[in-house]
Formats: sequence, structure tokens, C-alpha cells
Amino acid sequence: MIDRGVLRSHRFDPARASGRGTIDVLRSFRTAASLGWKMEANWTDPVLFFIYSVAKPVASALILVFMLQVIAGPAGIALRPFVIVGSALWSFVVSGVAGLAWAVLDDRERYRMLKYIYVSPSSFITILLGRGIARLAVGAMGAGITLAVGVLVLGVPFDLVAVDWPLLGIVLVLGVITISALGVVMAAVCLQTRQESWDYPEVVVGALFLVVGAVFPLSVLPVPLQVLGLISPLTWWIAGVRLALFQGGPSSIGGPGSLWQQLSGELNPTSVQVAAALLLTGAVVTLVSAVLFRAGEARAKDRGLIDRTTGS
Amino acid sequence: MAAPGIARPDPAPVAPLRLAFVGRPTASPQEAANWTPRQVMANNLRSVVGRAYPRVRGLTREPSWLLFQMLLPFLTTSSFVFVYRALDAPAAYIGFVVIGGAMTAFWLNVVWMMAAQLYWEKDQGNLELYFAAPMNVMSVLFGMAVGGLVMSSTRAVAILFIATVVYGVSFSISQWALLIAVFILTLAALYGFGMMLASLFVMWGREAFHLTQLMTEPVYFVSGLNFPVGRLGFIGALAIALIPLAVGLDAMRQLAFVSTGPTGTPAPWIESLILVVMTVFFIGLARWLLHSMEERARREGRLTVRWR
Repeated sequence: MIDRGVLRSHRFDPARASGRGTIDVLRSFRTAASLGWKMEANWTDPVLFFIYSVAKPVASALILVFMLQVIAGPAGIALRPFVIVGSALWSFVVSGVAGLAWAVLDDRERYRMLKYIYVSPSSFITILLGRGIARLAVGAMGAGITLAVGVLVLGVPFDLVAVDWPLLGIVLVLGVITISALGVVMAAVCLQTRQESWDYPEVVVGALFLVVGAVFPLSVLPVPLQVLGLISPLTWWIAGVRLALFQGGPSSIGGPGSLWQQLSGELNPTSVQVAAALLLTGAVVTLVSAVLFRAGEARAKDRGLIDRTTGS
Repeated sequence: MAAPGIARPDPAPVAPLRLAFVGRPTASPQEAANWTPRQVMANNLRSVVGRAYPRVRGLTREPSWLLFQMLLPFLTTSSFVFVYRALDAPAAYIGFVVIGGAMTAFWLNVVWMMAAQLYWEKDQGNLELYFAAPMNVMSVLFGMAVGGLVMSSTRAVAILFIATVVYGVSFSISQWALLIAVFILTLAALYGFGMMLASLFVMWGREAFHLTQLMTEPVYFVSGLNFPVGRLGFIGALAIALIPLAVGLDAMRQLAFVSTGPTGTPAPWIESLILVVMTVFFIGLARWLLHSMEERARREGRLTVRWR
């Protein structure tokens, strides 16, 4: 016999199926971020993890420092802050963009969990962003250590008091959002591609490296590439951080003969101009990335790519 | 007996090589299992071809590869060209960057698709099949190397050709034969190095993936990817002695840009001898490591452990 009282107490509550909105989103994000961090960090002891995390960005900066040293000799020391800041920030970009794409490839090709995650009640994009944030944190650590090595070992002059903290705070927040948006686009691309696309994020970011003025001023590029640079939010982000940390240093955007000077009539952009340009271009990229992700997700679902595994 | 009115189908035609495996009349199962050296060799060659096949064939099945593996890496290389242009560096340095950019195609392939490959195979459940199949697992490694070589050659050629045309790199080569020999030896040493690491990674879990990360920029730096390795002093000398990318790059640069003068590193013919030693050493070590790591992995039950 079925006890009607028990049935009444276990009656289906439609409100449970509709979820708890923001609370559920935050819980999914927190869980995904925690999982991502454990996957990034718990494969070894903290010391080795630290070494592995900082070796790559520090080596990237050293390559550029040596290129300066080989060609410019002692005169190249003056350019070190420019190169080290750009290189450190770029390692952050690489980590941020790769994190989301690798989350897709990891879960689909290696752990084969993507299909289960996809059909779970959590939002797919929320989980991806959560997974990606862990790698972003590793990238931030690498960037910070590279800057510290630049200041402590390579003699980059740095004054904490001279830092424009409000500008730094604004551009960092806007930069993280923009980098995550680019990561979302790469995640959408990797949903479509085969297992070999592990290095696609790095390749795309490597190509962007050409036009964002990370390690050389945009003015040395041909005009069409300078245009691409000026519409890229990463260009404004790097310029903003550079401006906040080393006020009065050389600008990657302006300078004599640059496209910026021709368009604006000013030698270098001001802090407000940099922040406004970053906000504008970042907003466009973020909106476009959301559209591209939805399109990529729909295509992957349509073609049965979400549970596909490949080999080579 | 076939039923009346039903014709027995003709046996499927069997290729002559296949007869060597399945059609040989033998007196007992033991004799059938006892392969001749020719059969063993043919089987291992088929394994090499079989393992190379998905990599070569896969090139035509992933159109995005053209953009991501050929055009975009050229732009990455271009970044370093513009660094030198911004510094008004001598023209030969642009050539250094172009050769370095081309060789990264092979290095990345060695790191991602050789060194870490057996670790991926373990996660995908293929590794136990390799070890259970009646073949030498070294032939799988050779197949991976051959397939990878074809894949990365296209990328390297694209970077070299486009960058040479776009940036007007002029090579000054006096010893073509030695340059070609050094290039081939560099590839042999690189893929031997990859085979050795692949054997080592049989035992490993996620640390293999992270080690591949460590083997990009730090190795580029000590190998002098974008500048003469001789400028690194002792570290450069150590890299020439240990890393095939470093010694191969330096030898090729000396031979392709004779006009740049002394680099402070050994002469190209000495570096080619170093590459010969590296090739023999790495492939020999790979064979030994593969055998010993397989034994150890069997004992510790790690051959089939996934997602660790």
C-alpha cells in the first residue's frame, strides 16, 4: 500500500527544476573553478608546481631581453621595462585564452566527460569559465613573477609610489574580461576541431602578438597591421598596464610617425583615452565572443561533436 | 558442404604479403607462431606505416589545420622579425628568426606529438593494445615520428617560404651538401629525442603534460631560437651538448649565413658529429627505456591506469 501522506510530502516541486538562478550559477562556477585548480595544481608538490608555472613566462621574457642585449648592447637596458611588461602580460593572455580551450579538449578527448557536463543542469559556459579561471590564475602568477624577476634581477626601475593604481585596477579588470572572451571564442573553435588542436590557442595568441605592441611599438608595423592593432582590446590593455606601472615610459601605441599620431594629432594616448578605448573594444569583443560561442555550440550539437573523440 | 543450389562464394583474394601472415601452411600452432625474420620485419614495417597513416591522412581531414598550422605560425615568427626591425638589427638576424621559426614546427611536433603521445594513448585506452599486439613497440614510435615529420614539414616549409619571400631573407650558403646533411641529422636527433621522452612518459600521468609545457619557451631560450646561442656562454655550450634543437639550429645558421662570421660555437662539421652521436644515443636510449619502463609499468600496474 502506498501511504498518501508520504506521497504528498514527496510531491514534485516545479520550482526545483527551474533552479535558483544566480545562486546556482555561482555554485557551478565555484565548483568548476575548484576542479580546474585541482587539475592544474595537484599533480605535484607546490614547489615543483611553482617552478613549472613560472619557467615558461620567465623564459619568454629572457628570450626578448637577450635579443635586446645582442643587438642594442648596454643601450638596450633602457628598453627592458617595455619588453618585460609586454612579455609578462602576454604570458597571462596565453594562459587565459588556452585555459578555456583546453578545458573543452580535456573534457572531451581525455576524460570524456564533456557530454555529461553538457547535459547537466549547469550552464555550459559557466562551467567553462570556471575551469578557465584556474589557468588564468596560474598565468597571473607567472606574469607577477616575471615582473618581479625583471625588477629584482634585470634591473628594471620600478617605484610603487609612482604607480597609477586606479588606472591599473580598471585596465586589469577590463583585461581579464576581454581575455576570457577570447578564450570563449577559442573554446568554441576547439569544439569543432580534432584532438590536434591543443596548440591552436597558443598559435592564435602568437599571431595576435604581432599586432598588439607587446614587445615593440606599433609604429614599426605597416599601416594595415597598425589598424588591426588599434582595434584589438589587447593593445589597449597592454598599453594601459604599461602606462599605469611606468608613467612617462615609451608608448606601444603612439610615438613619432605612428598611425595614432596621424589620426589623433597627439604623440601618445592619455590614461583616459586608453581606458575608454579598452572599454569600447573589449565590449565589442565580448559581445562578438558570446555570439560566436552560441553559434559554435549549436554547430557542435548539430553535428554530434560534443561527444566525439579523435586520435592521431 | 554447401546446400544444394547455393554456390559457395569464392574465397576473397589475398594479397601476397598477407599470405605470409595468415596463409602459410604450418604443421602446428607453435610453428605458425614462430615467425621468420622476414615476417617479423614485414610486420614491423606495416606497423610503422599503420601508425604514420592517421597523421598523414589526418592532414586532409582537418581543414582548419591550414590556418592554424601554416598561416598563423608565420605571424608569430613575424613578431620576432619586427622586434629586430625595431632595433635596426643586421639583415642576417631576420634570417636567424625565420630558420628558428621553421624549426619550432619540428620541435613542437616532437614535444606534443612524440614525447607526450604514449601518455595520450594511455588516457585513450590504446596503449595496452600497442603492448598486446604482436609487434615491436619501437615501430609504433617510428611510425609516429614519420607521420609527425610529414605534418611538421609542411608547416616548416610554409614558414620558411613565406617569410623568406615577405621579409626578403637572403641566404649565403657555401656548403649545400653539409647543410642538407645537418638538416636531416637534426631531424633524426630531434625525433630520437622525442622517442626517448615518449618511452619515459609511459610511466607518467599529468606531469607529462606539464613537462611538455616546460619544454617550449625555456628550451627556446637556452637553444638560442631567435639569437646566436653562442651569446649565452656556458648555458649555450651546455645546450649544444644536450639539446638537438640548439646544436642543429646553430649549425644550420652557420651554414646558411656564412657572412655573419664566427659565432663562438663549434664548426658545423663538429656539430654534425654531435648530432650523429645524439641520434644514436637517443634512439638507443629510447629502446632501452621503452623496454625497462614497460617492465616497470607492468609490475606497478600503470600501463592501463588512466586519467591520473
